[in-house]
Amino acid sequence: MMHKVEKVETDVLVIGGGIAAAFAAYRARRSGARVLLVDRSYFGRSGCSALASGVYPTYMPGDKEEDWIQGLGAGPLVNQRLLVKSLPVMYEHLMTMDRWGVKWMKEGKEIVRMGAPGRTFKNGAWMTEGGPQMMMAVRAGVLESGVQTLNRVAITELLTSDGTLPTEGQVTGAVGFHVRDGGIYSIQAKATIVCTGPYKFPYPWPGSTLGYMPIDLSGDGIAMMLRAGAQLSRLELGGINLNPDHLLCAPGLESLMPSGARFVDKNGRRFLENYDPKRMEMTSRALLYFAISHQKELGNVPSMDLRGIASERLELLKKVIPIIISNYEGLGVDITKEPVPYSYQVAGTSGIFGAGARITEQGETTITGLYAAGGCTDNAYLPGGHLSFCSTTGHWAGEAAAAFAARSEQGTFLPQQVQQAIEAIELPLIRTDGLDYEPVHRRLGEMLMEKVGLVLRADRLQYAIDKLLEMRETEISRLHARDYHELAKVCGLQQYCQVLEATLRAYLYRTESRVAFIREDFPVIDNVNWVKMIVVQRQGKNLKLWDEPIPEYFHIVPVRPTQNLHLVFRNATPAAHSKALGS
Amino acid sequence: MPKVEINKAACTGCGVCVETCPTDVLRLDKHGMAFAAYEADCQGCFICQWDCAYEAIRVRIRGGQEIDA
Repeated sequence: MMHKVEKVETDVLVIGGGIAAAFAAYRARRSGARVLLVDRSYFGRSGCSALASGVYPTYMPGDKEEDWIQGLGAGPLVNQRLLVKSLPVMYEHLMTMDRWGVKWMKEGKEIVRMGAPGRTFKNGAWMTEGGPQMMMAVRAGVLESGVQTLNRVAITELLTSDGTLPTEGQVTGAVGFHVRDGGIYSIQAKATIVCTGPYKFPYPWPGSTLGYMPIDLSGDGIAMMLRAGAQLSRLELGGINLNPDHLLCAPGLESLMPSGARFVDKNGRRFLENYDPKRMEMTSRALLYFAISHQKELGNVPSMDLRGIASERLELLKKVIPIIISNYEGLGVDITKEPVPYSYQVAGTSGIFGAGARITEQGETTITGLYAAGGCTDNAYLPGGHLSFCSTTGHWAGEAAAAFAARSEQGTFLPQQVQQAIEAIELPLIRTDGLDYEPVHRRLGEMLMEKVGLVLRADRLQYAIDKLLEMRETEISRLHARDYHELAKVCGLQQYCQVLEATLRAYLYRTESRVAFIREDFPVIDNVNWVKMIVVQRQGKNLKLWDEPIPEYFHIVPVRPTQNLHLVFRNATPAAHSKALGS
Repeated sequence: MPKVEINKAACTGCGVCVETCPTDVLRLDKHGMAFAAYEADCQGCFICQWDCAYEAIRVRIRGGQEIDA
């Protein structure tokens, strides 16, 4: 049905095309490995990084480590020691990208940094031509180092030394197909690094206005690692977030807020005075989300007012966040004349907090030969999925994978496993009585919005899990694809459903409420029970979940007590609210 | 849903947009001109517009009808 199989061999295979993949490939290549980077889209244009909001949070010599810990790493689930270790790496990347031609905002020859909401100090380097320019410059630098690339090849399955999934052995490469000509690629690698980025909740279907771009974050890499037997963690904390209703792109808070954007109500009053009068718009993201949602519920029409931004700065912002400004204009709003109505909806991007493969400080997963970095991982419990933490985990994974490849032979190549993977890819193409992709995707999304949503509850979650399993059996596994382009979407949805099951089970497992994770049936903050990692692993055909304590060595300074304001949100009962507030 | 408009007079058929579109929306037609073969998958990211050296592409986001109170 499809084209002949092209067999490729390399030392290190990198799957993905964003900033984590770029630095993983670059560091592996610099360590002497032959590197092949395979991207479902186009290296430098796929996923989140090219659409980034123009800010690279970075350390610079002279910064106090304590400021970084207090500013970004004071939560109980953050590995503060690793955060400190990451600081010089992100500065090195800043300088490397400068050399590659990324256009940073400078005063004279010095890169300057700006503040951002929730930060206690200025740490954001601005890209004066935004994410699109940043990633094309990074791409050029990485290619110049000798990294080979395969674009438009969707990897669908990892290969293993024992030919089984989950494996008792090690990962030996991967199989995928070209999304335009259907060519099959079988790639043998001594080490494989998955950098496929985060996944969305729910996964937006064409035409839906859910969440922001990129719209195609199906969690392919996370699903492949799960099937191979890798442990995943933090799934329950990554998949829910609050996004602006009326923008199809990222909110851009990191550059808009320090530029003078204001949140106002229908009377033009800056309502953040009620929530955080000291920091106002520079308050934490969590509190911003809460305040906006709360104002929306009160009928106060929360809006973003950009009229206070000086015209010179506005011209700069059009370049730093071109996609965001273009989207505002596309909405038909003159941002220089009127506030933009703003509210938040459920729609998460897991990479914001880090959710996916459990990785060590060297980017190792729990399977030999398999490494991971960036948004498809738990971020090794770094504070979040900022570009700089993605590039940093990519750096570490690239070096470790290259070192592993240098001391390893190619693993056993099992043609039978490749054949099985190819047959799985082809099924939707040869299925003549299959179901159409789009209605099934929409039904799944609508079910998730109705049953899961922002406020979680055990009975609804269980319903969603049961329904998902039923849909997987009766619909998702019966989809057909009319061409290779649609085949990529069908494969993506199939992968997504596996990550989704793991995520919903992790939601059910965590029985506390905090920040954007809200359990209606467990509304009270539980500072003891909260501090743990929830791990998901496929064992045989089933998913097994358990929890482990957060290692004590993570914390250099005592963790900050958590605010209770979020518990006012929506369905928390007054009694639970009073209890949480200690009254 | 975003609309991708190609100015046929300005398009040189260089194929850069076809190469770089993140969601694989664009193709070259039989005359060698870019067109939105899978417009329903356009996410409105403006990458094609940004990458086109000839200013031949314009992406239009749905208007403001959904802005409510």
